[in-house]
Amino acid sequence: MWLWAVADRFNSSSGPRGGREDQHGDQQAIGRVAAGDRDALADLYDRHSRAVFSLALRIVQDWSEAEDVVQEVFSQAWSQAARHDPARGAVAAWLLTIARSRAIDRVRHRRARPDSAGEQAVAAWPDPAPLQDLALLADEQIARVRAAVTRLPFLQRIALELAYFEGLTQSEIAERLEQPLGTVKTRIRQALIKLRESLGGAEA
Amino acid sequence: MSAATHDGLHELSGLYALGALTGEERADFESHLRSCDQCQADVRSFAPVVDALARAVPEREPSTALRGRVLDAVAGDRPARVDRARAIDTTGRRRWLSDAGWLAAAACFAGMLVVGYTARDRQHRVIALESRLREVTLRANAADRQIADVRRTASEAQASLAVLMAPDVARVDLEGQPVAPSATGRAYWSRSRGLVFTASNLPPLPAGRVYQLWVVTARAPVSAGLLTPDAAGRVTATIDTPRDLPTPVAMAVTLEPEGGVAAPTGEKYLVGTPGAGL
Repeated sequence: MWLWAVADRFNSSSGPRGGREDQHGDQQAIGRVAAGDRDALADLYDRHSRAVFSLALRIVQDWSEAEDVVQEVFSQAWSQAARHDPARGAVAAWLLTIARSRAIDRVRHRRARPDSAGEQAVAAWPDPAPLQDLALLADEQIARVRAAVTRLPFLQRIALELAYFEGLTQSEIAERLEQPLGTVKTRIRQALIKLRESLGGAEA
Repeated sequence: MSAATHDGLHELSGLYALGALTGEERADFESHLRSCDQCQADVRSFAPVVDALARAVPEREPSTALRGRVLDAVAGDRPARVDRARAIDTTGRRRWLSDAGWLAAAACFAGMLVVGYTARDRQHRVIALESRLREVTLRANAADRQIADVRRTASEAQASLAVLMAPDVARVDLEGQPVAPSATGRAYWSRSRGLVFTASNLPPLPAGRVYQLWVVTARAPVSAGLLTPDAAGRVTATIDTPRDLPTPVAMAVTLEPEGGVAAPTGEKYLVGTPGAGL
Protein backbone atom coordinates (compact mmCIF):
# COMPACT_ATOMS: atom_id res chain seq x y z
CA MET A 1 0.00 0.00 0.00
CA TRP A 2 1.02 3.51 -0.33
CA LEU A 3 3.11 4.86 2.50
CA TRP A 4 2.27 8.47 2.87
CA ALA A 5 5.51 10.13 3.82
CA VAL A 6 5.06 13.21 5.89
CA ALA A 7 8.38 14.92 5.75
CA ASP A 8 7.04 18.41 6.17
CA ARG A 9 8.66 18.84 9.56
CA PHE A 10 11.94 19.04 7.70
CA ASN A 11 10.93 22.45 6.44
CA SER A 12 13.12 25.18 7.78
CA SER A 13 11.53 26.70 10.81
CA SER A 14 11.83 30.32 9.91
CA GLY A 15 9.61 31.49 12.70
CA PRO A 16 11.15 31.87 16.13
CA ARG A 17 10.48 28.99 18.47
CA GLY A 18 9.46 30.10 21.92
CA GLY A 19 11.49 30.12 25.04
CA ARG A 20 11.38 31.96 28.29
CA GLU A 21 12.03 35.31 26.62
CA ASP A 22 9.34 34.67 24.05
CA GLN A 23 6.76 33.80 26.64
CA HIS A 24 7.63 36.98 28.48
CA GLY A 25 7.34 38.81 25.17
CA ASP A 26 3.92 37.25 24.61
CA GLN A 27 2.69 38.35 28.02
CA GLN A 28 3.83 41.87 27.37
CA ALA A 29 2.34 41.87 23.89
CA ILE A 30 -1.04 40.67 25.08
CA GLY A 31 -1.08 43.43 27.66
CA ARG A 32 -0.35 46.00 24.99
CA VAL A 33 -2.96 44.49 22.69
CA ALA A 34 -5.51 44.90 25.45
CA ALA A 35 -4.56 48.56 25.52
CA GLY A 36 -5.18 48.90 21.80
CA ASP A 37 -1.64 48.57 20.48
CA ARG A 38 -1.87 47.14 16.96
CA ASP A 39 1.90 46.69 16.69
CA ALA A 40 1.66 44.33 19.62
CA LEU A 41 -0.92 42.31 17.73
CA ALA A 42 1.43 42.25 14.77
CA ASP A 43 4.08 40.97 17.15
CA LEU A 44 1.87 38.10 18.22
CA TYR A 45 1.00 37.42 14.60
CA ASP A 46 4.64 37.18 13.62
CA ARG A 47 5.30 34.73 16.40
CA HIS A 48 2.22 32.55 16.24
CA SER A 49 0.52 32.81 12.87
CA ARG A 50 2.30 29.76 11.52
CA ALA A 51 1.19 27.50 14.37
CA VAL A 52 -2.34 28.91 14.21
CA PHE A 53 -2.52 28.52 10.44
CA SER A 54 -1.11 25.00 10.48
CA LEU A 55 -3.70 23.82 12.96
CA ALA A 56 -6.51 25.57 11.11
CA LEU A 57 -5.39 24.05 7.83
CA ARG A 58 -5.22 20.57 9.33
CA ILE A 59 -8.79 20.90 10.49
CA VAL A 60 -10.50 22.75 7.64
CA GLN A 61 -8.35 21.25 4.85
CA ASP A 62 -8.74 24.33 2.69
CA TRP A 63 -6.09 26.98 2.30
CA SER A 64 -8.24 30.09 2.03
CA GLU A 65 -10.63 28.94 4.76
CA ALA A 66 -7.65 28.33 7.00
CA GLU A 67 -6.46 31.87 6.36
CA ASP A 68 -9.93 33.12 7.26
CA VAL A 69 -9.66 31.21 10.52
CA VAL A 70 -6.33 32.89 11.26
CA GLN A 71 -7.99 36.24 10.75
CA GLU A 72 -10.80 35.28 13.10
CA VAL A 73 -8.36 34.10 15.74
CA PHE A 74 -6.39 37.30 15.81
CA SER A 75 -9.56 39.37 15.72
CA GLN A 76 -10.78 37.45 18.71
CA ALA A 77 -7.41 37.91 20.42
CA TRP A 78 -7.70 41.63 19.69
CA SER A 79 -11.11 41.94 21.29
CA GLN A 80 -10.55 39.52 24.17
CA ALA A 81 -6.95 40.27 25.11
CA ALA A 82 -8.03 41.89 28.35
CA ARG A 83 -9.76 38.69 29.35
CA HIS A 84 -6.69 36.51 28.94
CA ASP A 85 -5.27 35.73 32.35
CA PRO A 86 -1.54 34.92 32.19
CA ALA A 87 -1.87 32.91 35.37
CA ARG A 88 -4.10 30.52 33.49
CA GLY A 89 -1.83 29.72 30.63
CA ALA A 90 0.51 30.68 27.88
CA VAL A 91 -0.67 33.06 25.18
CA ALA A 92 0.46 30.63 22.51
CA ALA A 93 -1.69 27.82 23.87
CA TRP A 94 -4.63 30.22 24.19
CA LEU A 95 -4.38 31.21 20.54
CA LEU A 96 -4.26 27.58 19.46
CA THR A 97 -7.36 26.64 21.41
CA ILE A 98 -9.23 29.56 19.85
CA ALA A 99 -7.93 28.43 16.46
CA ARG A 100 -9.31 24.95 16.99
CA SER A 101 -12.71 26.20 18.08
CA ARG A 102 -13.08 28.51 15.09
CA ALA A 103 -11.84 25.86 12.68
CA ILE A 104 -14.24 23.29 14.09
CA ASP A 105 -17.06 25.85 13.77
CA ARG A 106 -16.42 25.99 10.05
CA VAL A 107 -16.09 22.28 9.58
CA ARG A 108 -19.31 21.59 11.44
CA HIS A 109 -21.11 24.32 9.57
CA ARG A 110 -19.94 22.93 6.27
CA ARG A 111 -21.05 19.46 7.30
CA ALA A 112 -24.49 20.64 8.32
CA ARG A 113 -25.24 22.46 5.10
CA PRO A 114 -25.98 19.53 2.75
CA ASP A 115 -28.59 18.19 5.14
CA SER A 116 -30.31 21.38 6.10
CA ALA A 117 -33.46 22.32 4.28
CA GLY A 118 -33.09 25.99 5.09
CA GLU A 119 -30.92 27.91 7.45
CA GLN A 120 -29.83 25.45 10.06
CA ALA A 121 -28.23 27.11 13.02
CA VAL A 122 -25.06 25.34 14.01
CA ALA A 123 -24.09 26.24 17.54
CA ALA A 124 -20.68 27.88 17.80
CA TRP A 125 -18.13 25.50 19.21
CA PRO A 126 -17.57 26.26 22.89
CA ASP A 127 -14.57 28.42 23.62
CA PRO A 128 -11.38 26.90 24.95
CA ALA A 129 -11.01 25.42 28.42
CA PRO A 130 -9.76 28.12 30.75
CA LEU A 131 -7.20 25.94 32.55
CA GLN A 132 -4.01 25.70 30.59
CA ASP A 133 -0.47 24.80 31.31
CA LEU A 134 1.83 27.67 32.10
CA ALA A 135 4.97 26.35 30.50
CA LEU A 136 5.60 26.06 26.80
CA LEU A 137 6.32 22.73 25.18
CA ALA A 138 9.75 21.87 23.89
CA ASP A 139 10.01 20.63 20.32
CA GLU A 140 11.22 17.33 21.61
CA GLN A 141 8.09 16.92 23.68
CA ILE A 142 5.89 17.63 20.70
CA ALA A 143 7.78 14.99 18.73
CA ARG A 144 7.27 12.55 21.56
CA VAL A 145 3.55 13.07 21.66
CA ARG A 146 3.35 12.77 17.89
CA ALA A 147 5.19 9.46 18.04
CA ALA A 148 3.01 8.28 20.91
CA VAL A 149 -0.09 9.00 18.82
CA THR A 150 1.13 6.61 16.15
CA ARG A 151 1.52 3.89 18.78
CA LEU A 152 -2.01 4.22 20.12
CA PRO A 153 -4.32 1.31 19.44
CA PHE A 154 -6.21 2.14 16.29
CA LEU A 155 -9.64 2.65 17.83
CA GLN A 156 -8.26 4.88 20.59
CA ARG A 157 -6.41 6.97 18.07
CA ILE A 158 -9.33 7.27 15.72
CA ALA A 159 -11.71 8.29 18.51
CA LEU A 160 -9.23 10.89 19.72
CA GLU A 161 -8.69 12.32 16.26
CA LEU A 162 -12.38 12.36 15.40
CA ALA A 163 -12.91 14.37 18.56
CA TYR A 164 -10.00 16.73 18.21
CA PHE A 165 -9.49 17.24 14.49
CA GLU A 166 -12.91 16.49 13.10
CA GLY A 167 -14.86 18.11 15.90
CA LEU A 168 -17.38 15.33 16.29
CA THR A 169 -19.31 15.22 19.53
CA GLN A 170 -19.03 12.10 21.65
CA SER A 171 -22.42 10.93 20.42
CA GLU A 172 -21.45 11.51 16.82
CA ILE A 173 -18.28 9.50 17.26
CA ALA A 174 -20.20 6.67 18.91
CA GLU A 175 -22.63 6.65 16.02
CA ARG A 176 -19.95 6.70 13.38
CA LEU A 177 -17.81 3.98 14.90
CA GLU A 178 -20.90 2.01 15.93
CA GLN A 179 -19.66 1.83 19.48
CA PRO A 180 -21.36 2.55 22.80
CA LEU A 181 -21.00 6.12 24.02
CA GLY A 182 -19.26 5.01 27.21
CA THR A 183 -16.71 3.04 25.21
CA VAL A 184 -15.86 6.06 23.09
CA LYS A 185 -15.36 8.27 26.13
CA THR A 186 -13.19 5.69 27.83
CA ARG A 187 -11.09 5.17 24.70
CA ILE A 188 -10.39 8.86 24.35
CA ARG A 189 -9.52 9.17 28.00
CA GLN A 190 -7.16 6.20 27.73
CA ALA A 191 -5.54 7.73 24.68
CA LEU A 192 -5.00 11.02 26.50
CA ILE A 193 -3.53 9.23 29.49
CA LYS A 194 -1.06 7.40 27.27
CA LEU A 195 -0.09 10.63 25.56
CA ARG A 196 0.31 12.33 28.92
CA GLU A 197 2.65 9.54 30.00
CA SER A 198 4.74 10.08 26.89
CA LEU A 199 5.24 13.66 28.02
CA GLY A 200 6.26 12.65 31.52
CA GLY A 201 9.76 13.21 32.76
CA ALA A 202 10.38 15.94 30.25
CA GLU A 203 11.48 18.51 32.74
CA ALA A 204 14.52 20.51 31.80
CA MET B 1 -20.01 18.93 45.82
CA SER B 2 -21.30 15.40 46.21
CA ALA B 3 -19.03 12.40 45.84
CA ALA B 4 -21.49 10.90 43.39
CA THR B 5 -21.26 13.91 41.14
CA HIS B 6 -17.50 13.93 41.23
CA ASP B 7 -17.23 10.22 40.46
CA GLY B 8 -19.51 10.60 37.50
CA LEU B 9 -17.87 13.72 36.15
CA HIS B 10 -14.23 13.12 36.97
CA GLU B 11 -13.81 10.82 33.99
CA LEU B 12 -14.66 13.71 31.69
CA SER B 13 -11.66 15.84 32.63
CA GLY B 14 -9.61 14.67 29.66
CA LEU B 15 -12.45 15.25 27.22
CA TYR B 16 -12.96 18.70 28.66
CA ALA B 17 -9.29 19.59 28.24
CA LEU B 18 -9.50 18.30 24.67
CA GLY B 19 -12.37 20.65 23.96
CA ALA B 20 -14.59 17.69 23.15
CA LEU B 21 -17.44 18.29 25.56
CA THR B 22 -20.45 20.23 24.43
CA GLY B 23 -23.81 21.38 25.62
CA GLU B 24 -25.20 20.30 28.93
CA GLU B 25 -22.40 17.87 29.64
CA ARG B 26 -19.86 20.64 29.31
CA ALA B 27 -21.90 22.99 31.47
CA ASP B 28 -22.27 20.33 34.16
CA PHE B 29 -18.57 19.60 34.16
CA GLU B 30 -17.61 23.26 34.23
CA SER B 31 -19.80 23.96 37.16
CA HIS B 32 -18.35 20.96 39.01
CA LEU B 33 -14.85 22.10 38.07
CA ARG B 34 -15.25 25.37 39.91
CA SER B 35 -15.28 23.63 43.24
CA CYS B 36 -13.14 20.56 42.62
CA ASP B 37 -9.38 20.85 43.02
CA GLN B 38 -8.80 17.32 41.85
CA CYS B 39 -10.57 17.85 38.58
CA GLN B 40 -8.81 21.15 38.07
CA ALA B 41 -5.48 19.42 38.54
CA ASP B 42 -6.56 16.68 36.15
CA VAL B 43 -7.61 19.13 33.46
CA ARG B 44 -4.36 21.00 33.88
CA SER B 45 -2.40 17.76 33.53
CA PHE B 46 -3.96 17.11 30.12
CA ALA B 47 -3.45 20.63 28.84
CA PRO B 48 0.12 20.03 27.57
CA VAL B 49 -1.08 16.94 25.71
CA VAL B 50 -3.72 18.94 23.89
CA ASP B 51 -1.21 21.66 23.15
CA ALA B 52 1.16 19.07 21.72
CA LEU B 53 -1.62 17.66 19.51
CA ALA B 54 -2.26 21.15 18.19
CA ARG B 55 1.41 21.62 17.39
CA ALA B 56 2.07 18.17 15.98
CA VAL B 57 0.22 18.96 12.76
CA PRO B 58 2.11 19.54 9.51
CA GLU B 59 3.61 23.01 9.56
CA ARG B 60 2.54 25.44 6.87
CA GLU B 61 3.14 29.12 6.34
CA PRO B 62 0.13 31.19 5.30
CA SER B 63 0.38 33.62 2.39
CA THR B 64 2.31 36.82 3.06
CA ALA B 65 -0.78 38.88 2.24
CA LEU B 66 -2.59 37.49 5.24
CA ARG B 67 -0.66 39.58 7.70
CA GLY B 68 -1.93 42.82 6.22
CA ARG B 69 -5.47 41.49 6.07
CA VAL B 70 -5.41 40.51 9.73
CA LEU B 71 -4.09 43.86 10.85
CA ASP B 72 -6.48 45.76 8.61
CA ALA B 73 -9.39 43.78 10.00
CA VAL B 74 -8.81 45.09 13.51
CA ALA B 75 -7.96 48.62 12.43
CA GLY B 76 -11.41 49.97 13.13
CA ASP B 77 -12.09 48.17 16.40
CA ARG B 78 -11.09 49.05 19.87
CA PRO B 79 -10.29 46.06 22.07
CA ALA B 80 -12.03 45.60 25.41
CA ARG B 81 -10.47 47.79 28.08
CA VAL B 82 -8.10 46.30 30.55
CA ASP B 83 -10.23 45.90 33.63
CA ARG B 84 -7.58 45.02 36.16
CA ALA B 85 -3.86 45.43 36.63
CA ARG B 86 -1.96 42.30 35.80
CA ALA B 87 1.50 41.26 36.90
CA ILE B 88 3.60 39.88 34.12
CA ASP B 89 4.06 36.20 34.74
CA THR B 90 7.39 34.87 33.61
CA THR B 91 7.28 31.29 34.81
CA GLY B 92 8.59 29.35 31.88
CA ARG B 93 11.14 26.87 32.93
CA ARG B 94 11.31 24.44 30.07
CA ARG B 95 14.52 24.33 28.19
CA TRP B 96 14.39 24.35 24.41
CA LEU B 97 16.38 22.13 22.15
CA SER B 98 18.46 23.61 19.42
CA ASP B 99 17.05 23.33 15.93
CA ALA B 100 19.39 20.44 15.22
CA GLY B 101 17.92 18.38 18.02
CA TRP B 102 14.46 19.12 16.80
CA LEU B 103 15.19 18.03 13.25
CA ALA B 104 16.62 14.78 14.53
CA ALA B 105 13.43 14.14 16.47
CA ALA B 106 11.41 14.89 13.35
CA ALA B 107 13.48 12.38 11.41
CA CYS B 108 12.56 9.71 13.95
CA PHE B 109 8.94 10.64 13.61
CA ALA B 110 8.83 10.36 9.83
CA GLY B 111 10.02 6.79 10.10
CA MET B 112 7.39 5.93 12.69
CA LEU B 113 4.47 7.61 11.04
CA VAL B 114 2.64 4.68 9.51
CA VAL B 115 0.32 3.05 12.00
CA GLY B 116 1.04 -0.59 12.76
CA TYR B 117 4.09 -0.96 10.54
CA THR B 118 7.71 -1.40 11.48
CA ALA B 119 10.62 -0.03 9.54
CA ARG B 120 11.38 -3.49 8.28
CA ASP B 121 8.00 -4.06 6.62
CA ARG B 122 7.85 -5.52 3.18
CA GLN B 123 6.33 -3.94 0.09
CA HIS B 124 2.59 -3.97 0.13
CA ARG B 125 0.68 -4.28 -3.10
CA VAL B 126 -2.74 -2.80 -3.49
CA ILE B 127 -5.33 -3.00 -6.15
CA ALA B 128 -5.75 0.72 -6.71
CA LEU B 129 -3.12 2.67 -8.57
CA GLU B 130 -4.32 6.19 -8.03
CA SER B 131 -4.91 7.92 -4.73
CA ARG B 132 -8.41 9.40 -4.52
CA LEU B 133 -8.60 9.78 -0.78
CA ARG B 134 -6.77 13.03 -0.46
CA GLU B 135 -8.67 14.68 -3.29
CA VAL B 136 -12.06 14.09 -1.79
CA THR B 137 -11.07 15.61 1.51
CA LEU B 138 -10.03 18.85 -0.12
CA ARG B 139 -12.27 21.56 -1.35
CA ALA B 140 -11.42 23.45 -4.51
CA ASN B 141 -8.45 25.69 -3.92
CA ALA B 142 -7.27 28.71 -5.78
CA ALA B 143 -3.69 27.82 -6.48
CA ASP B 144 -2.43 24.45 -7.75
CA ARG B 145 0.65 24.89 -5.62
CA GLN B 146 -1.49 25.00 -2.55
CA ILE B 147 -3.43 21.90 -3.55
CA ALA B 148 -0.26 19.95 -4.17
CA ASP B 149 1.13 21.15 -0.89
CA VAL B 150 -1.83 20.07 1.19
CA ARG B 151 -1.98 16.75 -0.62
CA ARG B 152 1.58 15.99 0.32
CA THR B 153 0.80 16.52 3.93
CA ALA B 154 -2.24 14.26 4.01
CA SER B 155 -0.97 11.44 6.11
CA GLU B 156 -2.26 7.95 6.42
CA ALA B 157 -3.95 8.92 9.66
CA GLN B 158 -5.88 11.62 7.87
CA ALA B 159 -6.76 9.21 5.11
CA SER B 160 -8.26 6.82 7.64
CA LEU B 161 -10.20 9.69 9.19
CA ALA B 162 -11.45 10.59 5.73
CA VAL B 163 -12.79 7.08 5.23
CA LEU B 164 -14.52 7.14 8.59
CA MET B 165 -16.06 10.51 7.88
CA ALA B 166 -17.39 9.46 4.49
CA PRO B 167 -21.15 9.66 4.10
CA ASP B 168 -21.16 6.20 2.50
CA VAL B 169 -19.00 4.40 5.04
CA ALA B 170 -19.97 0.88 6.00
CA ARG B 171 -18.53 -1.38 8.64
CA VAL B 172 -17.46 -5.00 8.31
CA ASP B 173 -16.69 -7.06 11.40
CA LEU B 174 -14.34 -9.96 10.88
CA GLU B 175 -14.22 -12.99 13.16
CA GLY B 176 -11.31 -15.22 13.98
CA GLN B 177 -11.56 -18.60 12.27
CA PRO B 178 -10.79 -21.92 14.02
CA VAL B 179 -7.09 -21.48 13.33
CA ALA B 180 -7.10 -18.15 15.23
CA PRO B 181 -10.23 -18.00 17.34
CA SER B 182 -9.24 -14.92 19.36
CA ALA B 183 -8.29 -12.83 16.37
CA THR B 184 -10.65 -10.01 15.46
CA GLY B 185 -10.81 -7.55 12.65
CA ARG B 186 -12.81 -4.55 11.58
CA ALA B 187 -13.01 -2.74 8.29
CA TYR B 188 -14.57 0.54 7.38
CA TRP B 189 -15.17 0.90 3.68
CA SER B 190 -16.29 3.84 1.61
CA ARG B 191 -16.67 3.57 -2.12
CA SER B 192 -15.59 7.17 -2.50
CA ARG B 193 -12.75 7.17 0.00
CA GLY B 194 -11.27 3.74 0.43
CA LEU B 195 -10.77 1.15 3.10
CA VAL B 196 -9.49 1.15 6.64
CA PHE B 197 -8.69 -2.23 8.12
CA THR B 198 -7.64 -3.01 11.65
CA ALA B 199 -7.03 -6.37 13.31
CA SER B 200 -5.76 -7.67 16.61
CA ASN B 201 -4.62 -10.95 18.12
CA LEU B 202 -3.31 -12.26 14.83
CA PRO B 203 -0.85 -15.08 15.43
CA PRO B 204 2.79 -14.28 14.67
CA LEU B 205 3.76 -14.94 11.08
CA PRO B 206 5.73 -18.09 10.32
CA ALA B 207 8.89 -17.54 8.32
CA GLY B 208 8.31 -16.88 4.65
CA ARG B 209 4.63 -16.06 5.10
CA VAL B 210 2.46 -13.01 5.17
CA TYR B 211 -1.19 -12.21 5.83
CA GLN B 212 -3.16 -11.05 2.84
CA LEU B 213 -6.38 -9.07 2.95
CA TRP B 214 -9.10 -9.90 0.46
CA VAL B 215 -12.17 -8.04 -0.61
CA VAL B 216 -14.50 -10.75 -1.81
CA THR B 217 -16.77 -9.60 -4.59
CA ALA B 218 -19.46 -11.50 -6.48
CA ARG B 219 -16.94 -12.04 -9.27
CA ALA B 220 -13.72 -12.95 -7.47
CA PRO B 221 -11.68 -12.06 -4.40
CA VAL B 222 -9.55 -8.98 -4.92
CA SER B 223 -6.34 -8.49 -2.99
CA ALA B 224 -6.36 -5.39 -0.83
CA GLY B 225 -2.81 -5.77 0.37
CA LEU B 226 -0.37 -7.56 2.61
CA LEU B 227 -0.36 -7.28 6.38
CA THR B 228 2.40 -7.78 8.88
CA PRO B 229 1.20 -7.55 12.48
CA ASP B 230 3.33 -6.07 15.20
CA ALA B 231 4.59 -8.02 18.19
CA ALA B 232 1.22 -7.63 19.87
CA GLY B 233 -0.58 -9.14 16.88
CA ARG B 234 -2.08 -5.86 15.76
CA VAL B 235 -2.11 -4.31 12.35
CA THR B 236 -3.87 -1.38 10.71
CA ALA B 237 -3.89 -0.44 7.08
CA THR B 238 -5.48 2.35 5.08
CA ILE B 239 -5.99 1.34 1.51
CA ASP B 240 -7.07 3.02 -1.68
CA THR B 241 -9.75 1.11 -3.48
CA PRO B 242 -10.90 1.81 -7.03
CA ARG B 243 -14.29 3.39 -7.35
CA ASP B 244 -15.43 0.66 -9.70
CA LEU B 245 -14.74 -2.09 -7.21
CA PRO B 246 -17.76 -4.39 -7.18
CA THR B 247 -19.62 -4.24 -3.90
CA PRO B 248 -17.92 -6.54 -1.41
CA VAL B 249 -19.89 -9.54 -0.23
CA ALA B 250 -17.25 -10.48 2.31
CA MET B 251 -13.77 -9.71 3.52
CA ALA B 252 -11.13 -12.19 4.56
CA VAL B 253 -7.56 -12.47 5.73
CA THR B 254 -5.58 -15.52 4.65
CA LEU B 255 -2.05 -16.72 5.27
CA GLU B 256 -0.03 -16.72 2.08
CA PRO B 257 3.54 -17.05 0.88
CA GLU B 258 5.71 -13.98 1.37
CA GLY B 259 5.01 -11.47 -1.36
CA GLY B 260 1.35 -12.43 -1.65
CA VAL B 261 -0.57 -14.27 -4.33
CA ALA B 262 -3.00 -13.36 -7.07
CA ALA B 263 -5.86 -15.41 -5.64
CA PRO B 264 -6.31 -16.82 -2.14
CA THR B 265 -4.68 -20.17 -1.55
CA GLY B 266 -3.98 -20.29 2.16
CA GLU B 267 -5.88 -20.83 5.34
CA LYS B 268 -8.49 -18.25 6.37
CA TYR B 269 -7.73 -16.40 9.61
CA LEU B 270 -10.41 -13.73 9.57
CA VAL B 271 -13.71 -13.65 7.76
CA GLY B 272 -16.53 -11.17 7.88
CA THR B 273 -19.54 -9.97 5.99
CA PRO B 274 -20.87 -6.45 5.82
CA GLY B 275 -23.78 -5.40 7.95
CA ALA B 276 -26.82 -3.64 6.63
CA GLY B 277 -26.24 -0.62 4.50
CA LEU B 278 -23.41 -1.83 2.32
